[in-house]
Amino acid sequence: MSRGAVVIDAERCKGCGLCIAACPQQVLAFSGRLNKSGYNVAHMEHPDACIGCAFCAMTCPDIAIEVYREKVPT
Amino acid sequence: MGERLLLRGNEVIAEAAIRAGCQCYFAYPITPQAELLEHMARHMPRLGRTFIQAESEIAAISMVYGAAATGVRTMTSSSSPGISLKQEGISYLAGSNLPAVIVNIVRGGPGLGNIAPSQCDYFQATKGGGHGDYRMIVLGPSTVPEAGELTMLAFDLADKYRIPVMILADGMLGQMMEPVELPDPVDPGGLPTKDWATTGAAGRDPNIVLSFDLDPEKLKEMNLALQEKYREIEANEVRYEESDTEDADIVIAAHGTIARIARSVVRLARAEGIRLGLFRPITLWPFPYEPLRGLADRVDTVLTVEMSAGQMWEDVRLAVAERAATPFYGELGGVVPTPRGILNEVRKHAD
Repeated sequence: MSRGAVVIDAERCKGCGLCIAACPQQVLAFSGRLNKSGYNVAHMEHPDACIGCAFCAMTCPDIAIEVYREKVPT
Repeated sequence: MGERLLLRGNEVIAEAAIRAGCQCYFAYPITPQAELLEHMARHMPRLGRTFIQAESEIAAISMVYGAAATGVRTMTSSSSPGISLKQEGISYLAGSNLPAVIVNIVRGGPGLGNIAPSQCDYFQATKGGGHGDYRMIVLGPSTVPEAGELTMLAFDLADKYRIPVMILADGMLGQMMEPVELPDPVDPGGLPTKDWATTGAAGRDPNIVLSFDLDPEKLKEMNLALQEKYREIEANEVRYEESDTEDADIVIAAHGTIARIARSVVRLARAEGIRLGLFRPITLWPFPYEPLRGLADRVDTVLTVEMSAGQMWEDVRLAVAERAATPFYGELGGVVPTPRGILNEVRKHAD
């Protein structure tokens, strides 16, 4: 198993929601916070559930997502 | 053609305008169109061309009028509320027979609306949002690469007919990123010369660019000349796309983003045995009335789908003229219909 953390560049995000749809752990959601362009940006709603799979970063068309992953000893 | 780039619609329209030889660009920022202006801000000065972030939308369209009168290729862009502000200038451009390109990345309305994709400016674009008996050519791209191709075409049509041309896209196309092969730049020196332009009257009689005549008989002549031009455009420039219509019982009529979604709906419907086709106007003005009428003779139903309360629907009903059923499905306020949502509507009309 691994644990992950997602960092979203809020000013690059256009609120398309693709990362939210791609997340197998339902970690991501719309934050309700608007960026400078007025878009409702995504954020980690359930950070503890993130496994660092990086599906969100792969699907993001605006390269707005960085994923950090650490291996958890089992 | 050459390298394949991942770009968003706004950037592709901007880059296509540069490659079409746009010498002067004037605009005022607005979401969801902002990246278009940003791209122009980055690249136009580097190329020795003119970029001005105007103090308002009205200033920007008036600058377009001035630049167009000197004969250079010129463009402005905005989104719905900003395009409303530009209507006065668009009417003046039309009345003065000036070529210009105007991009509307439509967002939810009316009023301030929101910044989500919509097609609710179809009436404004195709029926004339400004005053007077005028038309402008309106092109409705449905993919990011097509947005680039139609932008190049827009400059050619504007020059050919001395008419303002609008690219009517929406927030979805403006923001969506797709792989694009950009067209080769045109040689600005190879463009046709404009002997009507106000380039300095040394050695010749002055050229006058004006949309004004106090004498009703003379203004009538100006109007008749405009109408003659519009009939010529209707005869020569209608563009549309038909797909899967050969054996269709029902067709979706849709433009822009919705036509793209409808392609998925056609696949889904055919998988369950519904013979569905797609009719996509590319020129929203001139609207492809005759081709759609011909198609309506062969099908039972023409289902119009729009991100509006039924604006293009009026043109579809004019074209179909009771030859087939003409139901409508629309989403409002920036909501984008899903393929499944549209398929459910198709099922209602398929027996």
